[in-house]
Amino acid sequence: MAPGVGASAELRYRLADLYAAYDDALGEGEYERWPEFFTEACVYKITSRENYDAGLPLGLMQAESRAMLADRVAALRKTTLYAPRLVRRLIGGIVLRAIEADGMRLSASFALFQTMLNEPSQVFLCGRLYDRIVDDDGALHFTERICVTDATLIPISLVFPI
Amino acid sequence: MAAADGGVPAAGLVARQWPQAGESRVPNWIYTDPEIFAREQERIFEGPNWLYVCLDAEIPNPGDFTRSRLGTREVVAVRGAGGEVRVLVNSCAHRSMQFCSANRGSVKEFICPYHQWTYDLEGKLLGVPFRRGLRGQGGMPADFRPEDRGLTQLAVASRHGVVFASFAQPNETIEEYLGPTILGWFDRTFDGRELKVLGYQRQRLPGNWKLYQENNKDPYHASLLHVFLVTFGLFRLDQKSATEMDETGRHAALINQRGEQKSNDATAQMRAFRQDLRLADPRLIDPVREYPGEATVVIQTLWPNLVVQQQSNGLAMRQIVPLDARNFDLVWTHFGYAGDPPEMTERRLRQSNLFGPAGYVSVDDGEAMLLSQAGIAADENGECVVEMGGRDVASAPHTLTETAIRGFYRHYRAVMGL
Repeated sequence: MAPGVGASAELRYRLADLYAAYDDALGEGEYERWPEFFTEACVYKITSRENYDAGLPLGLMQAESRAMLADRVAALRKTTLYAPRLVRRLIGGIVLRAIEADGMRLSASFALFQTMLNEPSQVFLCGRLYDRIVDDDGALHFTERICVTDATLIPISLVFPI
Repeated sequence: MAAADGGVPAAGLVARQWPQAGESRVPNWIYTDPEIFAREQERIFEGPNWLYVCLDAEIPNPGDFTRSRLGTREVVAVRGAGGEVRVLVNSCAHRSMQFCSANRGSVKEFICPYHQWTYDLEGKLLGVPFRRGLRGQGGMPADFRPEDRGLTQLAVASRHGVVFASFAQPNETIEEYLGPTILGWFDRTFDGRELKVLGYQRQRLPGNWKLYQENNKDPYHASLLHVFLVTFGLFRLDQKSATEMDETGRHAALINQRGEQKSNDATAQMRAFRQDLRLADPRLIDPVREYPGEATVVIQTLWPNLVVQQQSNGLAMRQIVPLDARNFDLVWTHFGYAGDPPEMTERRLRQSNLFGPAGYVSVDDGEAMLLSQAGIAADENGECVVEMGGRDVASAPHTLTETAIRGFYRHYRAVMGL
């Protein structure tokens, strides 16, 4: 956490725990838990730096509710064909940028590594996270997560969320 | 410039023989052989064909440019002072350097960074630093003529906001090239309204570029592979549908009319049909009719490098960019109309979740490219069977057919001399 926005040590620990819990759920492949980290109405979007900087609204994945996130998980479990793979996420450099009326603004960097069955691990994607987190009666939830990938080009396909 | 000599037998290629059965068989070596790939580049991508370059909406004003790739060649499409679009090879006339390294932008002139040779928006060479030397020393030879050192320009055609170009001047207009059947479908989406780009997606697929043309000419797989499409009735072969082609077979349109999530004798044969599946947030699939007629999906495959997607309210250009025999890039340009109300743009963006590198439907296809190429490359002497719906090439009032793949290969063989 970056110093300077007047956040208490307790809040910083709580934010760090939220990021760690999110990472733990996805890192263990427990995608069913993923929507629980978001508010009922939320914005989740993975887009490219190319679209983001140009102000173009298209993303790779976009959802406006926890229910849409649940649909994403249902699809990757039940409807999508993909060759077996593991995706590992590393998130670092989490900075609390501002505390505003509509939530806390945070940013971080991420890297994704992909391992296809019988192949070596490779860097898959990296980029920036732009998050908004709200404190609802003592529980922290993401109400917005915009994942901006440095590369527009995706090797084969992006199956799992970031 | 490549000669357009379709029909001449393949010389220099190892004695490759197309299977006796004709287009109902496709030999595996056309997906792996570098010599075949080189010939495709020469005869197809640099031959007399109208290749998709970009949308007018990407370069609305004079000086606006966008880069594009036609086969392995890179070009820059730029709007001139008079509003006309030119397509220039992205290679300086001096040392062949790529002079343009931004994806898009706006300029008054192009300046190659290496030696600052400068070109106007028409590709004419305006200036060469130290052309006349310095203090009597150096300089270009006296007979150097800037007018002979412009950027290479392609022939350009445009229809209703879509820009095409060709390295070899085709002897057909874009309308003649598409033919009346396909032109009808093309004009349904591109009806003259101004377009608006919603964004880009790019993916690199480890497969031969033709596999993607085939994938989009193959409605048979759509009803079996794509659980998402099938379950929600977005494309299913028991629904009212058609497979149409132009006279040559090189272009096709797959047409389908949206149905319901109900079991019947057809869905009984589709393991992909899931009666129990429900969307937690049904806003994802909330299409509204926006074109005349009953079709709710029209997927056009245009020879050689474009798929035009209209699935419900999801519109996209999918540009196929071959890299080598075993890899291609797919560049998605999602769009709507400039006059769309905000709710329609939102709807298109929601539906875009079905497409692209993370699409509920398109992920299946990307993975199919990977697994197809892997199977094909392991046995170059093998062949694929393409005889669903018969062995002929003919439009059909249904989609239980691979006839559009056969049509593609009938034309391909003629052009390639195979």
